[in-house]
Amino acid sequence: MHHAYLDKFAYQDSPVHRLDSRVKFISLVVFTIAVLSLPRTSVSILACYAIGPFAVLAVGGIPLRFALKQIMLVSPFIAVLALSCPLYDKTAASAYFGPCAFEISQGWLRCFAILGKFVVTMLALIALVSTTPFSDLLVGLQKLGTPKLLVIQLGLLYRYIFVLIDKVQHMLRARASRKLRNLGYRQELRIASSMVGSILVRSIDTAENINIAMQGRGFDGKWRSLNKLQMHSTDWLFAAIVCCFLLILEFFIKPILI
Amino acid sequence: MHMANELLSVPVAAGTLGIAAGALGIICKKAKEYITSDKLALMGILGAFIFAAQMVNFQLPGMPGTSGHLVGAVLLAIILGPHLAAIVMSSIVIVQCLIFQDGGLLALGCNIINMALVPSYLGYGIYKTITIGKISRRRLYFGGLLACIISIEAGATLVPIQAFISGVLVVPLKTFLLTMVGVHLLVGIIEGLITVAVLGYLQQVRPDIVSEKLSGKVRLSKKAVLITLGAFTIITAGGLSLVASGFPDGLEWSYAQRPDQPDFKPVISNEDPRITAVDEFQSKYTPMPDYSGRDSKMGKPAKPVGTAGWTSFAGVVGSILTMCLIWLLAKLLRKNKKIHTQ
Repeated sequence: MHHAYLDKFAYQDSPVHRLDSRVKFISLVVFTIAVLSLPRTSVSILACYAIGPFAVLAVGGIPLRFALKQIMLVSPFIAVLALSCPLYDKTAASAYFGPCAFEISQGWLRCFAILGKFVVTMLALIALVSTTPFSDLLVGLQKLGTPKLLVIQLGLLYRYIFVLIDKVQHMLRARASRKLRNLGYRQELRIASSMVGSILVRSIDTAENINIAMQGRGFDGKWRSLNKLQMHSTDWLFAAIVCCFLLILEFFIKPILI
Repeated sequence: MHMANELLSVPVAAGTLGIAAGALGIICKKAKEYITSDKLALMGILGAFIFAAQMVNFQLPGMPGTSGHLVGAVLLAIILGPHLAAIVMSSIVIVQCLIFQDGGLLALGCNIINMALVPSYLGYGIYKTITIGKISRRRLYFGGLLACIISIEAGATLVPIQAFISGVLVVPLKTFLLTMVGVHLLVGIIEGLITVAVLGYLQQVRPDIVSEKLSGKVRLSKKAVLITLGAFTIITAGGLSLVASGFPDGLEWSYAQRPDQPDFKPVISNEDPRITAVDEFQSKYTPMPDYSGRDSKMGKPAKPVGTAGWTSFAGVVGSILTMCLIWLLAKLLRKNKKIHTQ
């Protein structure tokens, strides 16, 4: 896996990419809370809320197909839970959409509401992550009060995930090319566990080397970034737009649609 | 078992986030005393190791086509000690949320509690109580297996409880709980087997790692282990009794609301007695008394058909049109910029 495969769009340049990571993070939190506190039976208003993350994705130049693919990848657990709702809530309800009227059960309404909220909040999360390099996000999180230890841990973790995943993929390919059939589960378990064990031993050794290298460069346990976070006028503008968007939805659109 | 935002209500999400943040803050503060800068690289890489180890899958017995893999919290707790394991596992859950979009942002609190804090401390506590004193091979295997199964089960049972308190799902708690426990029993056994096998491998290759001589390990004293286990027992018992008392509460609540709405009648679409019985059971145990057909506009029979349908239609179409407009504008802006730079 290539480094930064999953957040490859975070390193582009656009007005949204240049915003302060704190503004984006807080906007995401507020937006998610606003979406989650919507009543559970209103499906159509979710389309209005989707405008926000969509606009960020569009301005940031992130393909919508990438975002939707990401959402599909992580959806199985919630999809199963949402689809089990119609089985348990069979109260009849009628839904209207334009000229059509449907007779469906409340369970289905709830299922659609859960899935809709899932898609909208995930779009917002993807909009944040794919417009903000992870290191900038970490600096922002640290400024917002995350413990330093956790920030360093997250930074190192992010740095080495892709390195180790690469190593494992080499090992998996080696195993696949030597093991041409199923060897029975005892043997399989033994092979898998010695693979995991050897990665563990290797990563502990690597950690020692990295530690020596870091000490050699004067690492003293502090996380430093060249990105000095400062609130520019564009950041305030973005915050104002987000506020206006949420307030308009809350006070003008919501009373009409709900 | 990553929770998504939509399974939680805002108060539950905020509460669990608060608990997780507080616990992490305390752990970080406590761990700072032990951690010198040379442990940081080790922790970071062991976190990445867990990601990598999750990719090594193996064939399950008796179930062709399915494969199991390691989850890693207990292995990490055994290698690093519970405090550091909790920090590393939390960072893994956060990265899974932020980079892999696995689990929602507001559900992060729940996910950290279920998958990082509980497995690390509980797993370590169980492993330690069994292997206390001299480490024999059998004790090591038995302790590792049991620690994995119990800690994964504990995390898994918390998911339905948190979802139930939020009241988003209509799935009965019992069904959800049984499903989660059943599925995660399997996950726990696989986790236990592979953890034990890895421990066995390590004991042959690098016995210093297993026998607590690895630098950077923070040990819990015997007293601390007992206190942790005791606290977990109390919390579990308290949580279960809360859930148990939640049933009659919900029932009362739903009855209490009915006098306000004299015209409220449960709508039963099917007259089959079995379905009626199920529906009645359902209306009793639905965790959200405030939720009914009366509140919703989408399914509001009282409102004239035309207006309700057309407002929602207008909302959706208007949103889609706005999105198209924004998309076009963004595209134009980008094009202009390219011309400028050329």
